[in-house]
Amino acid sequence: MESASIAVGQGAAADHHDHHGPPEFHRSARIDQTVLGILLFILSEIMLFAAFFAAYFFLRVVVSPDTWPPAGIELPVLIAGINTVVLVSSSFTIHYALEAIKHNNHPGLKLGLGLTWLLGATFLFIQINEYIHIGFTPRDGAFGSIFFSLTGLHGAHVFVGLLLLTFANIRAWRGHFGPEQKNHLGVEVPGIYWHFVDIMWIVVFVTIYII
Amino acid sequence: MAVALRQPGWYRGALGALLGAAFGFGLVVALRAISGLDIFQTEQTGYPHVVVPLITTPFGFLFGFGAFDYWFRWAAGKPTIPDDHANHGATRWQDYFKFNTDHKVIGIQYVVTTLIFFLIGGALALLIRAELAQPGTQVVDPNVYNGLFSTHAVVMIFLFIIPMFAGLANYVLPLMIGAPDMAFPRLNALSFWMLPIAGIIFLSSFLAPGGAFDAGWTGYAPLSTGAPLGQSFFNIGVQFAGASSIATALNFLVTIITMRAPGMNLWRMPLLVWANLATSLLVVGATPFVAGAQFMVLFDRVLGMNFFQFLEGGDVLSYQHIFWFYSHPAVYIMILPGFGIVSEIISTHARKPVFGYRLMALALIGIVVLSYSVWAHHMFVAGMFDWLRVPIMITTLLIAVPTGIKIFSWLGTLFYGKIHTYSTAMLFSLGFIVTFTVGGISGVMLGMVPLDIHVSDTYFIVAHIHFVLFGGSVFTIFAGIYHWFPKMTGRMYDEKLGRVHFWGTMVGTWGTFIPQHWIGLDGMPRRVADYANIYGDWNLVISVFAFILGFVQLVFFYNMIVSWRFGPKAGNNPWRANSIEWQVSSPPPVFNFDEIPRVVGGPYEFGTPGARHAIMGGEDEPELPGPKPTKVAEPA
Repeated sequence: MESASIAVGQGAAADHHDHHGPPEFHRSARIDQTVLGILLFILSEIMLFAAFFAAYFFLRVVVSPDTWPPAGIELPVLIAGINTVVLVSSSFTIHYALEAIKHNNHPGLKLGLGLTWLLGATFLFIQINEYIHIGFTPRDGAFGSIFFSLTGLHGAHVFVGLLLLTFANIRAWRGHFGPEQKNHLGVEVPGIYWHFVDIMWIVVFVTIYII
Repeated sequence: MAVALRQPGWYRGALGALLGAAFGFGLVVALRAISGLDIFQTEQTGYPHVVVPLITTPFGFLFGFGAFDYWFRWAAGKPTIPDDHANHGATRWQDYFKFNTDHKVIGIQYVVTTLIFFLIGGALALLIRAELAQPGTQVVDPNVYNGLFSTHAVVMIFLFIIPMFAGLANYVLPLMIGAPDMAFPRLNALSFWMLPIAGIIFLSSFLAPGGAFDAGWTGYAPLSTGAPLGQSFFNIGVQFAGASSIATALNFLVTIITMRAPGMNLWRMPLLVWANLATSLLVVGATPFVAGAQFMVLFDRVLGMNFFQFLEGGDVLSYQHIFWFYSHPAVYIMILPGFGIVSEIISTHARKPVFGYRLMALALIGIVVLSYSVWAHHMFVAGMFDWLRVPIMITTLLIAVPTGIKIFSWLGTLFYGKIHTYSTAMLFSLGFIVTFTVGGISGVMLGMVPLDIHVSDTYFIVAHIHFVLFGGSVFTIFAGIYHWFPKMTGRMYDEKLGRVHFWGTMVGTWGTFIPQHWIGLDGMPRRVADYANIYGDWNLVISVFAFILGFVQLVFFYNMIVSWRFGPKAGNNPWRANSIEWQVSSPPPVFNFDEIPRVVGGPYEFGTPGARHAIMGGEDEPELPGPKPTKVAEPA
């Protein structure tokens, strides 16, 4: 029952014959539906980021090619760099968690998920601190607007990722996941999303802080 | 009452909406208190005390209505009820007012809701034409007029055409590919319920101080960043409508990729399925751009950011680039599903296979690819980079090639066919070909930079958009509704009234929109409540035809409502079509099939004796030439 319920949208009627559920549909592709769904969702998320990147480059390249960033603004590259390391390492811990559950290693799953959650929360904490001490606001010129919008949009995604990881943690501690794919989609799908959040941060970091 | 508040439904939804509004309001007050601002002072255009509750109230309603119950239970690690199909299917009319996860119920919810918005949008259009019947100010003052044409466009685009196609496909697409439901039924229901929310937000902007949003459906910055409160209703409503269509598109893509019946490879998919595959690719890829653009405007308005404030280093023109990067693909989002509908109907009623089936499918994909590269043809006079004009002109003209392939293929399908015109669906399809071709050709004219500069912001643009969107999209919508009405309701509509509706619509469309080309070439500006006296005669003619067009739609509504209740029984397959949805009962049973059908041939094998598209469960395998469908192993 529990394992069946984890596989959302899988037509998991197999062990319930008392209902007239949907007939087993024919699987015309090998990819899992939930995984394909999250990949398509990430595609549209990438396009949302692309809209803001488009705005960024219009502001930077077309409007103010000579004064970018504006005089007097110094971005804390070092702190953001440390933050990048924090977030990137969380990608490895979630991968470890997924590998652990594939080998039915429940303590490893809990360790990996817990570490990932802590690293993500650390990232958000450092970023909020950076916002407080950065010395300019979203209202300070177009640079302030696009800086806070892009990093804030990414921060919102980290927050959503953290929510998903919270759910995964709760379920891991209740012993819900198993080595078969349909039994650990609840780790795999937030994991895919988390990798996307990581990679997107690297793009945001390189664009805003480095180049 | 206490019980009713615990169960998901309208009572709990209303409570959730109240709590959501209170939460949003409290959030604004708290944040302002923390950051040391005056708690209740409202900026000139910001109104955070209205804007934030406008976002949180719908979420509160959806929580209360039961949209997230399953996911919450799942997230908290509680037992879920995967096989409780209490929310599936409809036995009473009340079931249509629930958070229902059945794709057929959702399809009908979509169609009925969007038709109501069509009526509202049409009434707004008639108000516009009443004002424009004579030069000067008669019915509404110019400020209200600006709100009217903006709301008319937004309602028709975001609440009628785009979701209507989603609704029709929601009903027939899973049936066509032999699937019991969509891939994510709960997400499907959530997408539907975001739609009336978006509609209520758009329309309630009329109540906002300063009137409805009046910067056009394009909402160009900086006109929109300085507009009164109503503009924020537009920004937020678009987010809900956009999220709804992204979720639906994602659902269609996963359904089409993973749930096709055995034997249905890509080249046996009906063209409606191909069309929705193409459309969904566009929606998933492009719609986030309009969300981004509206977020930026909202940030400028409410948070005081400077995306589009030139003096603060903002870039005014970037709004147009980002907006049109969605909104040009959006016109294909609004026509590709119609192409699919028309292909089905023409092939069925000409009793011939679709001419050039594979090229028809590839033309759809070609349009998808090209449509991402033509956005700037809306900006030839906006002062954008000069070097971008000619490349965009070339890609714009190129897009006429796949579109032309489709038109010639429909003509090829009709050529020497046994054309039956007893069905109103076929009449609308034929009318579509003629009207849409005219609109398409004026599109090719507009793609050329010199002509576009001459007619920019004139009624020529208005005529073009209405020829392709009304003569194109809406004609295919009518065709689709007439075609699948017997399947959805189990009853036939009245063909005589259908013919009245068709000829009235045809005459009304041409009478309304053809003269607009001429006065547009003469220079009559669009989006203005008044005009020079020399355009007076033609505008009177246009208004008369517009009212004919408007009132003949009442025949359609009468026909649909009365036939749904009293029409003669339709039978399973009144059009003698091949595709799978016609092989089951009308309306189809819950979960569509007892046994998944097997697909053994193309969907349009009309005129080939013994040819079958699909074998339904319980039937014997017919003797057919060619390879047998391979049996695929069930997943463990």
